Amino acid sequence: MRWKLEKGVPYIVLSVLALIFALPLLWIILASLDLNASASVHIPAKWTLENYKAVLSEQANLKAFANGLLISFSQSLIVVVAAGLAAYPLSRYELKYKNIFMYTILFMTSLPITAVMVPVYKMFLSMHLYDKMIGLILFLTATSMPYAIWLMKNFMDGVPLELEDAAKVDGASTLMSIRKIIAPLMFPGICVVFIFTFSNSWGNFFVPYILLQSIDKMPASVTLYQFFGQYGMVVYGQLAAYSALYAIPSILLYVLSQNYMSKGFNMAGAAKG
Amino acid sequence: MKNRNKYNTAEELKHSALLLPSVLLLLLFFVMPILLTIYYSFTNLALSGENAKQLKFIGIDNYISMFRDRTVRVSIINTLIFLIGSLVGQQVLGFMIALMMKNKNKVFRGIVGPIFLAGWIMPEVVVALCCSTFFGDEGTLNRICTTLHLPALEWLYIVPMLTVVLANIWHGTAFSMMNFQSALDGVSSDIEEAARVDGASRVQTLFRVILPCIKNTIATNTMLNTLSTLGVFGLIYMMTGGGPGNATLTLPIFMYRQAFVSQQLGYGTAISMLILVIGIILSVFYTRIIRND
Amino acid sequence: MKMKKLTALLMTAAMIISMVGCGSKPAAQDAAAETAKAEEAPAADKAETTDAADTTEASGDKTVITITFRDDGSTTLKDWFQNAYDTYDKKDSVEVVIAPITASEGDYFAKVALALQSADTAPDIVCEDTFQLPSDVAAGYLTNMESYLKDYKEWNDGTYYGALVDGVTYTDGSAYGIPFNTDTRGLWYNKDVFKQAGLDTDWQPKTWQDIIDTCAVIKEKCPDVVPFWCNSGVATGEGTSMQTYEMLLYGTGEQLLDENDKWIGSSDNILKSLEFLSTIYSDGYGPSLSKVLNGEAGNTSSREYMPNGKLGISLDGFWVTGNYKESGASPWENYQDHLGIAAMPTSEGQAPGSITMSGGWALSIPELADEKDAAFDFIKHCMSYDVYRDMIIKQGNISTRSDIASDPEYSQQPFMQTCTEFLDGAYYRPRNSQYTTVTTHIQTMVESVVSGTSPKDAMEQYKADVINSVGAENVVEK
Repeated sequence: MRWKLEKGVPYIVLSVLALIFALPLLWIILASLDLNASASVHIPAKWTLENYKAVLSEQANLKAFANGLLISFSQSLIVVVAAGLAAYPLSRYELKYKNIFMYTILFMTSLPITAVMVPVYKMFLSMHLYDKMIGLILFLTATSMPYAIWLMKNFMDGVPLELEDAAKVDGASTLMSIRKIIAPLMFPGICVVFIFTFSNSWGNFFVPYILLQSIDKMPASVTLYQFFGQYGMVVYGQLAAYSALYAIPSILLYVLSQNYMSKGFNMAGAAKG
Repeated sequence: MKNRNKYNTAEELKHSALLLPSVLLLLLFFVMPILLTIYYSFTNLALSGENAKQLKFIGIDNYISMFRDRTVRVSIINTLIFLIGSLVGQQVLGFMIALMMKNKNKVFRGIVGPIFLAGWIMPEVVVALCCSTFFGDEGTLNRICTTLHLPALEWLYIVPMLTVVLANIWHGTAFSMMNFQSALDGVSSDIEEAARVDGASRVQTLFRVILPCIKNTIATNTMLNTLSTLGVFGLIYMMTGGGPGNATLTLPIFMYRQAFVSQQLGYGTAISMLILVIGIILSVFYTRIIRND
Repeated sequence: MKMKKLTALLMTAAMIISMVGCGSKPAAQDAAAETAKAEEAPAADKAETTDAADTTEASGDKTVITITFRDDGSTTLKDWFQNAYDTYDKKDSVEVVIAPITASEGDYFAKVALALQSADTAPDIVCEDTFQLPSDVAAGYLTNMESYLKDYKEWNDGTYYGALVDGVTYTDGSAYGIPFNTDTRGLWYNKDVFKQAGLDTDWQPKTWQDIIDTCAVIKEKCPDVVPFWCNSGVATGEGTSMQTYEMLLYGTGEQLLDENDKWIGSSDNILKSLEFLSTIYSDGYGPSLSKVLNGEAGNTSSREYMPNGKLGISLDGFWVTGNYKESGASPWENYQDHLGIAAMPTSEGQAPGSITMSGGWALSIPELADEKDAAFDFIKHCMSYDVYRDMIIKQGNISTRSDIASDPEYSQQPFMQTCTEFLDGAYYRPRNSQYTTVTTHIQTMVESVVSGTSPKDAMEQYKADVINSVGAENVVEK
């Protein structure tokens, strides 16, 4: 009897915890499918997709999603390329400053970006980057460079040198061998960095909120925030539908990353061993 | 094996060329803002008014004001409460879940795991939204309370700090859980078994065997959580805006209020410096831990 | 595969929980849903404005004028500019881009200040709250309009009210904006509620105590009604400073600045004002904090609570009536019969017996605007009799042009006469460029008091904050 109880208790505790954790999220799912949604969890009297239709039929919302995708995608792309290039010398050569560089990078990964927004905005004004997508993308790129370089270097350490040497013999340049040999081999690692960057960027509302001005440039994170502040208290159903749509890329990316993450981490692990 | 290239200055420069794009980006958009933060914190920079026209160097006036400012003290305390509350909550809960999940039925893990993860995957804005409706007047929590014949309360106003801490725990627990899961997988069951055979109780095994085994994970995890919690802005800003009054005013929110709402950018950057300094101290610790790993 | 599993699980869990938690639906939900429908319209408008912004690229050789204002969920301003453009005789050579900023009030001023600092982002016309104007002029953000005003007939022949012209005039004696509305504040009360509580529907309190006594009666007789509502939070921004705190403080005979232009950091009168608020909330006469401390509080009280008989007295501005018109956000049939207005009494009924604050908004041209001449010409057209009259009636605000006062449609609006009379002897906010900072400290102080901080502590904090912002040499104690 006691044995059974001991076995059973964790299941019960975990179930209860999971139930509590699920409650706030359930609201989004249920409310988004309910025309008479309120602030609390309840089963819709009538299931409907009207809220989604309403959100998606609005030009401004689609534009915001497009903006968000543009920002996050370009940022992640630049991050992957720049960090990939930077990782090569750090991984392949013995450089005098390497240790200091790596620790500086590690140190940078942990600084709160929130704190430097005032000077960034001032800088943007004088560099004519304020309210420009490209400025926002470059700044976001820079903020994700530190951990991207750190991860990339570790992944690259896991790619064996031999193949590269063979290519070198064939006269391939460094860039060529990165592109043709290393990149395919560390593809899972690249995906991890890309996904990481993308989902951080997708969720960021503070930086675009400060650095952008025009409504038609705002990404979904900011418009959701504004929607929440302005109409949120009344149109719960649409708010929930908007949030659900907005969360989809994050969920998709997480699922994708699960595939690559294990491979990526194994690679890093293999390098250490 | 990768140290085959002999050191040589010309070679080194050539090799380093690939670092150039990253270094340029970092210098321009990372190092520069930090240097500017230091500079502006010694000026009277303002968003509007006479000071916006004429930037003046005012020495350490902003810092003097900061030390006199009671609101700074309030926000430091709030930041600490938020930090410690979140850390303890996230880690204890994350550890408990990881421990209990170990060796459980696969189907069960498959059901429960994603639920814990969901809060972590959600973008900040959605987390804030979920939690403010959950704790709201007509929200789910009050719904439960009335169903149980308990009084419905205005949670976001009566216990504002608790609600934002819980929201952050909801958001962050999965991260700790995953870290602990992989650490616990590394603790060989033989050691546990051995301790058990020696007559150690469950609790003893936990404290004497398991915890010491994963102490590095605990340290790293604490550090990472501390640093990310320190910069939390959106979650609190959307849920309570730092209020009611100053009840949930943490340093980042206070910085925003001073710089952008009260339009005193110079003073705002002085507060930023405070956040940065705390961050830097913690980062140094963190870098040390990684180094020793 | 994993994705599927996740959704499936969430859905199952969803079912289980809702079965547990699903009781009867509270009535409030239906009301929320109703308002939800009413709110869909402004949401749809956002799309149009974005379209308008998109077309700029294709505008070719037309002069493009960009107009920035705060999108507060109502379409009045947007319609005004659209209507002005539709009737504009230079339509063929000028294009107008309507570029509202969606932000809370406090964030709006910050966003505008950011935009005005760079030629890339500065609009050609910006809506400025007259309290923000001196600060933005001091920063050099706005264009001195004197050279344009020389040839603006209505400006020079006294069509604009003198007090409002003063409101946009900086200390250098020049005007930096054209005032487009003004307002007064008072105590709105729901006569149906008063009837139900057995109170006289012709109400005029003489002192603050009268207000509290009336609240007590309402609370006793109509327990479901919120007796008193005033903006009380940081989120309602200037509304909290002006509609609530300053209406109280100026009613004690004290002002924000003393006769030497020093900020008053602490005084018995500040304390008295805060104690009034404290009494309202601690005795349960105020709304729940969750309703009043968010940015939508002003709309909740005027659009939802007042017309639905859920509110007794509301300390608010004249513009609330704009909601009740047929074209408003919350139409209320024959609202003039259900709603009453009383002047806000002074604290103990001392002379002049009642007080009001007055403010308003102006159209300004940023210093870094590209098309200043065209912008001014368009402003003139916006302010021309017909175009302007339609807007000011729709907005439910008080005209800044004296000739509109005699317009039949305008003057016959319910309450218009009473509220315009309030303008005599109205107080204006200090024309001091530091006000923009001090006002945020006022908001924090008020929010602290209504959420339970003692008036004394809140005032001490306020004093410390003001000293921190403007320097100890500019602050006095009374």
